[in-house]
Amino acid sequence: MANSANATNNDGGHGHGEHSHGIGRYIAVWLALLAGTALTVITGRIDLGAGNIVLAITIASIKATLVVLFFMHMIDTPAANRIVFVVSLVFSLVLIIGVFGDLWTRNEMSLPSGAPSTLAPEIQVPGTPAAERPAEH
Amino acid sequence: MSSSEATAHAAPGRGDPHLAHHFDTQDQQDGAVRLGMWLFLGTEVLLFAGLFLGYTVYRHFFHEAFHECSRALSLPLGTLNTVILITSSLFVALAHVAIKQDKQKQAAGLLVLTILCALAFLVIKSFEYAHKFEVGELPGKWFSNPEITAPGANLYFTVYFLATGLHAFHVIVGMSVLAWVLKGVLKGKYGPRNNVAVELGGLYWHLVDLVWIFLFPLLYLI
Repeated sequence: MANSANATNNDGGHGHGEHSHGIGRYIAVWLALLAGTALTVITGRIDLGAGNIVLAITIASIKATLVVLFFMHMIDTPAANRIVFVVSLVFSLVLIIGVFGDLWTRNEMSLPSGAPSTLAPEIQVPGTPAAERPAEH
Repeated sequence: MSSSEATAHAAPGRGDPHLAHHFDTQDQQDGAVRLGMWLFLGTEVLLFAGLFLGYTVYRHFFHEAFHECSRALSLPLGTLNTVILITSSLFVALAHVAIKQDKQKQAAGLLVLTILCALAFLVIKSFEYAHKFEVGELPGKWFSNPEITAPGANLYFTVYFLATGLHAFHVIVGMSVLAWVLKGVLKGKYGPRNNVAVELGGLYWHLVDLVWIFLFPLLYLI
């Protein structure tokens, strides 16, 4: 975001003077993406407890940022285009955070988590022993 | 509008077949077209956000099942598909560089490679789907795999098929768009000044890659 003013200035000049370093930069980004993929796969199946999801999302976010900034030219696109895309990301986060705020502030009884749920018997796994199933249907 | 701007960019102005009559310069037209594309990509992000939300909510409810089911997917095939998509993104980016330098044949070749990558992705995905059907790892009431007993496993596969299915649909659309762009390149429609279609086809393809970058760890690894 620091160079947004800069990018807006050479808005019209997009695609004129960047040929020389274009290919090298793309290949560097590609190698970084491959490295990120390798790192995700290697760390993904090591049990880090809660660390797994944090690490996986972090690596995915870094990879996504590289794609958006360099492959999709977000780094030198006019500010209007960035606002549009960033706003969609913000609203996605609002959606997810809003729903999780609801989930976290509910009490256990209203959650269908935990083996055999009495609240949603229709989402039981077929093959679960009958004894574990709730009595009333 | 400003005639000085038109001369500054050495735009042909009126009579340019690539320029719609309501735009003054090629840059102005390309800017408007790019903004429209980013708006569309914004709606795509919101579309997939709904799916990711469904994933996180059900994962929260059925943590064990999601963990167990993610181990039922083929990690080698998933990794291979990730590498294929990332590489295809590179190809389409290089195709845009090539067309900006007026290297028509190189651009066409890179687009063909991109489309072949997309095809390879779909073929591998279809092998994965076929295996799921064989072992009964299917959504909702069709789930019939006796080895995965954690409650909620069928919901994992509902999310799996919805997310990868919607993504595969985007791969097919992206392939079609790139094939259309390729047709234009082969006809010599694009050049150093007129290549916004190649750029936007690439943008769409990068979004397909972007979605998979998140889907892969969430479905295969966690």
